[in-house]
Amino acid sequence: MTADLSRLLNALGLVAVDTVLVLAFADQLWFRDLPCPICILQRAGFIAAGFGIALNLIFGPRPSHYGLAILGAVVGGIMSADQVLHYIVPGSGSYGNAIFGLHLYSWALIMFVAIVVGCGVMLLFDRQYEPSGPTPLRQVTLPILAVAPACSCLRSAMCCRRSPSAAWDFAPRRLAAISSFTRIWG
Amino acid sequence: MMSLPFLLFACGLAAGWTSRREAAMGFWVAGVLVLLVLFRFHATDVLNLGL
Repeated sequence: MTADLSRLLNALGLVAVDTVLVLAFADQLWFRDLPCPICILQRAGFIAAGFGIALNLIFGPRPSHYGLAILGAVVGGIMSADQVLHYIVPGSGSYGNAIFGLHLYSWALIMFVAIVVGCGVMLLFDRQYEPSGPTPLRQVTLPILAVAPACSCLRSAMCCRRSPSAAWDFAPRRLAAISSFTRIWG
Repeated sequence: MMSLPFLLFACGLAAGWTSRREAAMGFWVAGVLVLLVLFRFHATDVLNLGL
């Protein structure tokens, strides 16, 4: 695998991670499916995993960057596995809407495992680490990356809470205010 | 507080974009540590479940 092909695959992986975050944000806004604190942390786990992939695009593929992506995915996977285990007993309830039969935390666990497996497969190809010229993908990396933290900061600001009792009262009002703003703006 | 890991990762991405790789990785480590601490405190939060 050449360095260029590796960068292309990393770019596709980064787009996939960002797509997950944007779809989760869209689900939150349109279906008013407010994320729980652990859900927000899982999304931060996606950014931690995508961080390593992004460094591959900026500085070129390196094993240490894949290591960051794998560790970020493991941290996020621990959180999503914890949440899946909360509801694994039938009749113990669930949190949020199901999408294609699975809840978001289940999809998150699948995605984190896919990131770990994908990075493990990418690490097998040594030719990608050979030095090469500057990558044109670097020019498009920042706009792609900017989507995730921007959406996530907005999301956590909408759902940020000071006390457990105030959280579920106040967050929908903030959500409604932002929805009104987007309707006026749009 | 929940925004802190996102902000740290955003700072790390900015450092990476300005070719400061070590700083970027430092921000990543700080972000993951904050993430784990937040998980420690929020792992047992009461959720609004649909039973």
